[in-house]
Amino acid sequence: MTDRRRVNGPTGGTTPVVFDPELVKNFAASVSKPIRTRAARELRKIFLQTGLTPSASGSAYFEVEQHPSHSHGLARSSTLKITCTVHGPRPLPRSSSFTPNMLLTTTVKFAPFAASQRRGYIRDNAERDLAVHLETAIRGVIMNDRWPKSGLDVVITILEGEDDSWWDTGLSTMSSGGQTPFGMMSILSGCITAASTAIVDAGIDCVDIVTGGVAALVKKSELATGNSNLELVLDPCPSEHDEIVACCVVGYLKARDELTEVWMRGDVSLTPQVGVGGQSEVDSLINGAVQAASAYHAVIVSSIKK
Amino acid sequence: MTIQLSSSESGTSPSLSLSLPPSTYAKLLPLSFLAAHLPETRPSGRSPSEFRQTTLHTGSLTHAHGSAVVRIGDTAVVCGVRGEILRASDTNIPDDFSGDDSERISTLGLLIPNVELSTGCNPAFLPGNAPGSTAQGLLQRLITLLKVGSVVGFEELCIYEDRSELIASDDKMQDEPEKREVRAYFTLYIDILFLSLSGSAFDTAWMALLAALKDTKLPTARWDRDSEGALCDPRPENYKKLRVQRFPVALSWAVFSETKSKLNVVLVDADDFEESCCDEGGLIVMDIDQTTGQELLLRVEKYGGGVVAIAEMKTILSIASKRWKEWDALLKGR
Repeated sequence: MTDRRRVNGPTGGTTPVVFDPELVKNFAASVSKPIRTRAARELRKIFLQTGLTPSASGSAYFEVEQHPSHSHGLARSSTLKITCTVHGPRPLPRSSSFTPNMLLTTTVKFAPFAASQRRGYIRDNAERDLAVHLETAIRGVIMNDRWPKSGLDVVITILEGEDDSWWDTGLSTMSSGGQTPFGMMSILSGCITAASTAIVDAGIDCVDIVTGGVAALVKKSELATGNSNLELVLDPCPSEHDEIVACCVVGYLKARDELTEVWMRGDVSLTPQVGVGGQSEVDSLINGAVQAASAYHAVIVSSIKK
Repeated sequence: MTIQLSSSESGTSPSLSLSLPPSTYAKLLPLSFLAAHLPETRPSGRSPSEFRQTTLHTGSLTHAHGSAVVRIGDTAVVCGVRGEILRASDTNIPDDFSGDDSERISTLGLLIPNVELSTGCNPAFLPGNAPGSTAQGLLQRLITLLKVGSVVGFEELCIYEDRSELIASDDKMQDEPEKREVRAYFTLYIDILFLSLSGSAFDTAWMALLAALKDTKLPTARWDRDSEGALCDPRPENYKKLRVQRFPVALSWAVFSETKSKLNVVLVDADDFEESCCDEGGLIVMDIDQTTGQELLLRVEKYGGGVVAIAEMKTILSIASKRWKEWDALLKGR
């Protein structure tokens, strides 16, 4: 059924822009694929600001720094841009039943222009999934027993998401059934950090500040030598790596050293490895993500103090 | 009632009166709070005829063909424009279509604006619901204004098949004298998201829409006979700027009238609080001809309340033309 409250496109349907394959081949040769130039344990800088939506109780804007080497013209790669608003604590409608704790509602929505393919206005499964992950990450942090009979809305709009692949290879990955969307992992990490900042901005009591962090196991490039062919990188940018084997995102409380959320994807082994300091791949992934998350903690603190 | 503004009375005999901070006073008695400030100034410190400053950023979104962020006071809007291809064979426009260009654009559906308010921009529009009447009303006005204002030309959106080769190689094709034929169109999806909402929703949305269209660069496309589709050129230097024909400016206003203090003040570019106190308001959309300097009216709206003097409307129009100049300078990057 069509959405009658919005303006839908022409009834015949439209297709995304298709590029001339001949010209793409020539053009792709002239621009280089982005490569990760920072160290494996180095994070991209983030920009975090509170109070961008004065009509909300609390708000935050989160942005990841753009890679300097590929920020030109069409070939510039996208970064993550997230806005988060928090409304509440506010009284629940009279019709709702009594609740001794504050009810938390999280909504995550991609803007129609957030990805290389246009997204619709009605929330899809990926967005609902992200919202559930976000809810588990922040539910444990809020002291929700202080506000009985009230509700808290955390609303996230993703203005721009990262590409899952380098743009001109978009055609090839689509034909092979699509890559696993690891880009979702860094989006969730950004959502956790942004939501946590906005909650603090709204003045809601929390046990600690939760931050998101991502780590990934990537196939080493052929030039590198070592015992293992896998490498642990923090804050991975999916378009910079040929193949991501596994990825993990955590919601981490720095002061309490606790995790509220772990989401892992990909193939990882549980047996201890010689190459990565006697740790199993799972352990090193989680430790990496925790390391990334604790680095963001300082940024949140300084943005709140402003 | 002995409620006093603590900001003006701080330090003087608080023992007799109940002293409240201005923000609480505004919540308890919004009408008298606003009336106490007027007619000279508003609670924000602006004079009734002063509009808030506009700021503009363009081209910050990577995935869109054109984008803009416009901020007027505490209202912020982001607009992204994305071109998609519509094949002429999928449309059913009659051959003897007699309408003009803007008629043609709307019949084919080449400009598709949408407004999203439920982004948490204001507690009144929380997500989880379908767009309400405010969002739909806003959208409908944008659509009509896009059509009436003939902002984008039809020619800009056509994708042609070059038939010159075909005609040269085949002399028998006498019945097709045209060198090129429209085989597809660019449909522009214009998505307007509110990041923050505090009054003057239409003004901000309209300006973001125009600035995003002005920022739009579409790839050059040609019709490929072999694949029966439109193919685009990926080279950034061959992207073509979309030509926007005019940049009308919108100015909304509200009338605050209170019987007790006999106030009847027109508040230009009212914010959230002021809008909630006024039953009467309106919108004016005007343009100034770039060559002749003539002021042109595109749309006038007035709803609710009683009467507004014609002289008052003229004052609003002159304020709107002031905003037009500010907006024009912003767009030209001055």
